[in-house]
Amino acid sequence: MEELIEILEDIQPEVDYETCEDLIDGHHLDSMKILALVAEIEDAFDVTVPTVEIVPSNFNSAKAIWAMIVRLQEED
Amino acid sequence: MSYCDIGYLLVFVPAVLVVYNIAPVKVRRFVLLAFSYVFFWKMSRTLIFWLLFTTVFMYLFGLWLARINSRKREALKSCEKTEKKALKEKYNKKKRRIAVLAAALFIGVLLVLKYSAFAEISFNKFAAAAGSSFSLPVHRFMLPIGISFYSLMAVSYVVDVYRDKIEADGNLLRLSMFISFFPQIMEGPICRYENTAASIYECKRTSYSELAFGYQRMMFGYMKKTVIADRLNLAVLTVFDKNINFDGGIVALGMVLYTVQLYMEFSGTMDVVIGSGQLFGVKMPENFRQPFFSKSISEFWMRWHITLGTWFKDYIFYPLSLSKPLKNLTSAARKRIGNYYGPLMSGAVALFCVWFCNGLWHGAAFSYIFFGMYHFVMILGGNLIEPISKRVLPKLRINANGKIYTCFRIVRTTVLVFIGELFFRANGLRSGLSLFKRMVTDFTLKSFRNGTYLKLRLDNKDYVIAAVGVLAVFIVSLIKEKGINIREAVAARPAAFRWALYYALILFAIIFGAYGEGYAPVPPIYAGF
Repeated sequence: MEELIEILEDIQPEVDYETCEDLIDGHHLDSMKILALVAEIEDAFDVTVPTVEIVPSNFNSAKAIWAMIVRLQEED
Repeated sequence: MSYCDIGYLLVFVPAVLVVYNIAPVKVRRFVLLAFSYVFFWKMSRTLIFWLLFTTVFMYLFGLWLARINSRKREALKSCEKTEKKALKEKYNKKKRRIAVLAAALFIGVLLVLKYSAFAEISFNKFAAAAGSSFSLPVHRFMLPIGISFYSLMAVSYVVDVYRDKIEADGNLLRLSMFISFFPQIMEGPICRYENTAASIYECKRTSYSELAFGYQRMMFGYMKKTVIADRLNLAVLTVFDKNINFDGGIVALGMVLYTVQLYMEFSGTMDVVIGSGQLFGVKMPENFRQPFFSKSISEFWMRWHITLGTWFKDYIFYPLSLSKPLKNLTSAARKRIGNYYGPLMSGAVALFCVWFCNGLWHGAAFSYIFFGMYHFVMILGGNLIEPISKRVLPKLRINANGKIYTCFRIVRTTVLVFIGELFFRANGLRSGLSLFKRMVTDFTLKSFRNGTYLKLRLDNKDYVIAAVGVLAVFIVSLIKEKGINIREAVAARPAAFRWALYYALILFAIIFGAYGEGYAPVPPIYAGF
């Protein structure tokens, strides 16, 4: 989780990732930043993020992103 | 009949509501479907064939994918662990082929009916310019109403079944009701099966609160359309369609008036559409979220025609930018130009495709392609300069999150939107460029001092009424932007206050609506796309 927060802070600083629950709905992460984030996640956690996973509910908070990563790791 | 016709408000919707509510639930479904087809038939007659064609093929492709899914599950149950990955890939490949075939069929019909003439005429022009005497025959087809909307809904349904996001629907009645639901068929919103199909099929009896909320929303939409959009129509027609050499000041005024008109017409229609849906217990997705509070063009498109933007994002942008070749490009670029600009490269390729398609979706003309490319450049440009502005602003002692800089960003975005809409409305690319050139090189306020602005077939009263209407919409938008649910806030007030407000809205639309002699109501703009 700490590594994920570091990645997020690198891509988009000025957001409190511990508490923020509207990363997508609040326009903190736009589609270009999502692309950078997906590339980082795939590298750092050795998972493949398929298109179908790119939905606001998976990216609205650091917790949700982490839950998606764990799920993808288990599915692999 | 359009959603903003009096016939729709006072005859069609009440007739559907009465028959729908007195019918038993099982019959209600057929009532709703029959009225949806009547609505479609009234505008497109025999072209309803294309809607039925799309419905049947959505159903068949869905079932085909479901069959492969069940075979895949069976095969996975009985296979060895080591074979699982290869087996999954084998079935996924099959499913992908079917999904591509379905998408090609739905988009193919749209392309042939909507773009044949444009492609053939463009080819002939290029051939003639290259000195060739060869020319293609030009085929012009009649377009069924709403084809640009329901084709995208059909694609999203099949692709979502392919992605295992939803189960294929074995109920043809439910699928038919979903795709042809009359409030959405003409101008969207582009609904997703998972969001609306069940509630359309449920056919709940209309409750008092849904009736009240639905009609309130519809009345607000009518106010936007009749008081503001229709009132501005003659001025917009004069600036854009008459060959009068107005100076740049008047062109700028026309550009602003058209943008206001387009917003009021389309968002007003969406209020009527969403309000109509609510009467039948259907919560349709919002298509607008206060777009003129956007701080960048990218954000603007997350707030304007939202369902089209999310469709392009989910079915073109992400699949393309996360495809193998573009992912490889991202990895290579990240190593060379860093983690910000690297993904931007593959994003730019996907973004180009999105905005090319977005421009073309609006119409078969080069001005629409230019409109798409304009937004592509603006969004990409915004992303390119973002790291630079983040470094420069602190050095200039500008607070990036401060009120002044935020206001500046909102105004800058609005001006860029105005310019885009100038090209969008102009009669062809050449006319758009000529108007833009005049606006920049011949800008003067003389026409506002000598009264030329009154020659646009609007008098001072018209400008004042339109401004009051815009102010009312602005106040409502501001309240919504602060996160307050205005309708619930009004509903919590005493009855006398509520009814005074409802009557004020109705009377405002009746008294100040621009209808009758001396006005030309704007035709439904997005229905033409």
